Amino acid sequence: MSARPLRVVGHPVPRVDAIEKVTGRARYVTDLTLPGMAHAKVLRSPYAHARVRRVDVTRARARPGVFAALAGADLTWCDPYYGPAYRDRPVLAIGVARYEGEPVAAVAAVDEATAEEALELIDVDYEPLAPVMTLEEALAEDAPLVHAGQPPAGHFADLSTLRPRPGTNICHQFQFARGDAAAALGGADVVVEDAYRFPPVQHVALEPHAAVAAWDETGALTLWASTQNPYSVRVELAKMFDVPLARIRVVVPHLGGGFGSKTYAKLEPLAATLARAAARPVRLAASVPEAFQTVRRCASRVAVRAGFRRDGTLVAVACDADYDVGAYADIGPRVVQKGTYTATGPYRVPHVRLEARAVYTNTTPGGAFRGFGVPQLAWALESLFDVAADRLDRDPVDLRRQNFLAHGEEFAPGDTPIDGKLEESLSRAAEAIGWTRAPAADRGRGVAAMLKASVAPSVSEAIVRLHADGSVTVLASAVEMGQGTRTVLTQIAAEVLSVPLARVTVVQPDTAVTPYDQTTSSSRSTAMTGRAVQVAAEDVRDQLLAIAAQNLGVAARELALADGAVVAPARRLTYPEALALKFGMSGGELIGRGVIAPGRTAAPLGGSTPFWEMAVGAAEVSVDEETGAVRVERYVSVADVGRAINPLLLEGQDEGGVVQGLGHTLLEEMLYADGHLLNGTLLVYRVPRADDTPSELECHFVENADGSGPFGAKGAGEGSLIPVSPAVANALARLTGVRLRDLPLTPERVWRALRARSPRA
Amino acid sequence: MLRPFTLHRPETAEEACALLAGLGEEAAAYAGGTELLLMMKLGLLRPRHLVDVKRIRGFGDIGLEPLSGRRLTIGAAVTHRAVEQSALVRARCPLVSSVARHVANVRVRNVGTVGGNLAFADPHSDLATLFLTLDASVELLSPRGRRELPLDDFVRGPWETSRASDELLGSVTLTPWASDTAAAYVKFGVHERPTLAVAAALRLDGTTGAGRNGRDRIVEARVAVGCVSLKPVRMAAAEARLTDLSIGDLDDAARAAADAAAAGVDPADDLYGSADYKREMVAVFVGRALRIAAARARGAESAARFPHTVVA
Repeated sequence: MSARPLRVVGHPVPRVDAIEKVTGRARYVTDLTLPGMAHAKVLRSPYAHARVRRVDVTRARARPGVFAALAGADLTWCDPYYGPAYRDRPVLAIGVARYEGEPVAAVAAVDEATAEEALELIDVDYEPLAPVMTLEEALAEDAPLVHAGQPPAGHFADLSTLRPRPGTNICHQFQFARGDAAAALGGADVVVEDAYRFPPVQHVALEPHAAVAAWDETGALTLWASTQNPYSVRVELAKMFDVPLARIRVVVPHLGGGFGSKTYAKLEPLAATLARAAARPVRLAASVPEAFQTVRRCASRVAVRAGFRRDGTLVAVACDADYDVGAYADIGPRVVQKGTYTATGPYRVPHVRLEARAVYTNTTPGGAFRGFGVPQLAWALESLFDVAADRLDRDPVDLRRQNFLAHGEEFAPGDTPIDGKLEESLSRAAEAIGWTRAPAADRGRGVAAMLKASVAPSVSEAIVRLHADGSVTVLASAVEMGQGTRTVLTQIAAEVLSVPLARVTVVQPDTAVTPYDQTTSSSRSTAMTGRAVQVAAEDVRDQLLAIAAQNLGVAARELALADGAVVAPARRLTYPEALALKFGMSGGELIGRGVIAPGRTAAPLGGSTPFWEMAVGAAEVSVDEETGAVRVERYVSVADVGRAINPLLLEGQDEGGVVQGLGHTLLEEMLYADGHLLNGTLLVYRVPRADDTPSELECHFVENADGSGPFGAKGAGEGSLIPVSPAVANALARLTGVRLRDLPLTPERVWRALRARSPRA
Repeated sequence: MLRPFTLHRPETAEEACALLAGLGEEAAAYAGGTELLLMMKLGLLRPRHLVDVKRIRGFGDIGLEPLSGRRLTIGAAVTHRAVEQSALVRARCPLVSSVARHVANVRVRNVGTVGGNLAFADPHSDLATLFLTLDASVELLSPRGRRELPLDDFVRGPWETSRASDELLGSVTLTPWASDTAAAYVKFGVHERPTLAVAAALRLDGTTGAGRNGRDRIVEARVAVGCVSLKPVRMAAAEARLTDLSIGDLDDAARAAADAAAAGVDPADDLYGSADYKREMVAVFVGRALRIAAARARGAESAARFPHTVVA
């Protein structure tokens, strides 16, 4: 790679789709209308757990304007089950409804009003069953089983590692160990331990799930879907309908936010099923309350023991984590496994015993959510780190610094060595928050750190096309969901090919057109898809150099690209000139290909993470002692990103991560009583608002170009969220002496803790 | 989703009442729709006819009651935004002006109406609580004629009023406080609607003491607490503890009044909090409201900021 200064990469260029978004011209799935398109509505179970004895849709079917009315029992013409870990989820309940809000029947009609009215003509005979709503209930002896039989495994490569415990509600167990944690804890000078709870929370993407499905006369299916991974959706549909992958086309317009809620199939199977039954295109768009009935974050109860030597050296961690994955596994088992794998955080720990269970309950299925299992564990470990610092009479910043993994150090045998400098992130966070200066008397400060692996092995492919006029098309399937990936991919191609941003077009993901990309999640798009685009653009570059070398009679190594031309010491060949020379006419194009597929390795989870996501958060809080209301006054996030391809977008993404983290830290929790979700609407489910944003919020980046992604970049976007809750709780503890173990830190919960505070010793 | 309905747009109260009487249970009065349409979208209410009251003459007016020339009458279809912007309201009932600026959110304020707010009687709303301290009465119109009810009698409980199904809420009339009254409205909560609300008004007697313009003695105190009990309530016991005090002694008395208010509410465990927490918060916020009012009596605005709290 040439050492010339970067022209667009690393610069805070505005997002390429900014104008279309702010002017309302950007098109989302629900903006799409097809000729003859029907509108779907879903009848959902009013019970958390019920036998579905009979569903009678005949009256609904007979209603004028109704094209299709389906119940689970009607789905004999396809495989009605789907799911990425286990294929345990029916498109419509079959025999049993496992959570309140589970789809039981669905109607496609001429308009939404007709569909809604038809739902009322459907008779369902339910026999309510005892539900299990909490981890405790689900894990109790003789607990009612959410799933009686063992469902078949899904399409994930590591499905061989799935370990359900038949006859229980445990759908997966994960263990990881090195050294002898029990012995090391026995010999440690100081052992701290406690159990921490993380609530079920919903993503609240501004755009709820939506899909439009259309089968054509050849039996091929096209889906326009609000999904983060069109290629996973395609696999599910291919299995359900026994259709070759090549005959299923998933197209993804703009997403109004994802945050993990749109990974893997959600509404797409039902939309496709209805479209087939109705023999016309069907549009299925969820409301916000229906999003609460579609997916949420896996709640957890995490018990951690950590042993230290007197000098502060962390010697052992034992962790038992139970995750509530809800009524269907979705990607829950992988959330549990991947989260637990890094339960020891960014620290050097010789003796480790980690055990985790994924537990079914009769609640909304738990799935992926920004952080993917790590926030639940970081909440526990990073809180305990401060407890340990107290016991050891050490500064929490110093104690962390002492135990950080070093750059290049092994995290686990076979996995990628640590590829960032935690020390640098921590120092910058401490400096920015003013750690060494005393805060005002009514303020407290806290810090927390995080480490997270990205999905591995994974595959990203890209195609870059250079056209006769020197403009460029990028074909890649990373989904633009607000994070800015379209802009970042544009920058990468423009940088390599030395053209203005406006000469590069990134095509929206379309499985019939744009090549394979595993998923837009796990903070991987810049590092993996971006790297594939870089390689594809370099492929085009090398073709240009070869053409120029041949035609100019100069060695390729003496040529470079600049301003849309191949430049030799004394001559210059524009791209249109180069292409005309190659093809002998003003047509034809150069096609470059980039494939990033690191494959399986000996790492514990089967693949080596392409990068480690690392971040530190520092909070300064105040508390209204009379009401218990906590306010985060200042917050600093520092993420080790290798290189910020676009510092402006990255800053926005990390600010969003911090504010989203404030949600589960201070406000958000899906509350259930008597089998019912009590707060599945935005009137009573409170997400952070602009006025909850800290008055000082800074996002910094450590850039040492030490990542495996393009130009030394690593992934980012999840790291900023993860330290928020422990940093805030640590700050609150340092301010008030009160240590909370259950999130969110609602005013009432904090007020109770303050009242229970033992009188000053 | 919203189901189809027939919209009626009468221009007189008589027509509107006749429609309501004729259509019976099938009809609902419709003003701003911010509460009604929400319930209809959720399928909790399904009226087939909506009787829009916004075109009825006088329903959009704000004016002085002709009889007294002093009381302030706000038509049922007046929006919160119109209340906020009315010079007359600001002059006669300045706290009503500032509270109007903090009702719900700007989208609701632009279309939501005073009449709709009172007639819906959502337990977590602002106006009824504040209006109790302004001796509010409501005007009800029906084919049988017109009647006036004290607000306290009109609001019977959560989403429940004394309005008969063929009656229309025409207006609400407030009795402005004497000019030497210091007041505050404080609400607290993390959700879209408040967890609790406190309105406090202290009428001062200007004959003695060192307060602003020489006013010092509290001759009348009014304290109302909303969102906590089944309906907003005036806290007579708390008011009694404040009457006849010097404003300088308020700090001690505020604590006693706050405790009296806390003892006088009837909270339940719900999404907004546990009963004991809400009772304690009543004490905290009655105390805060009184101290803010007392500061205003001295011509000062309290600099204290409280999280999740709106001070009007």
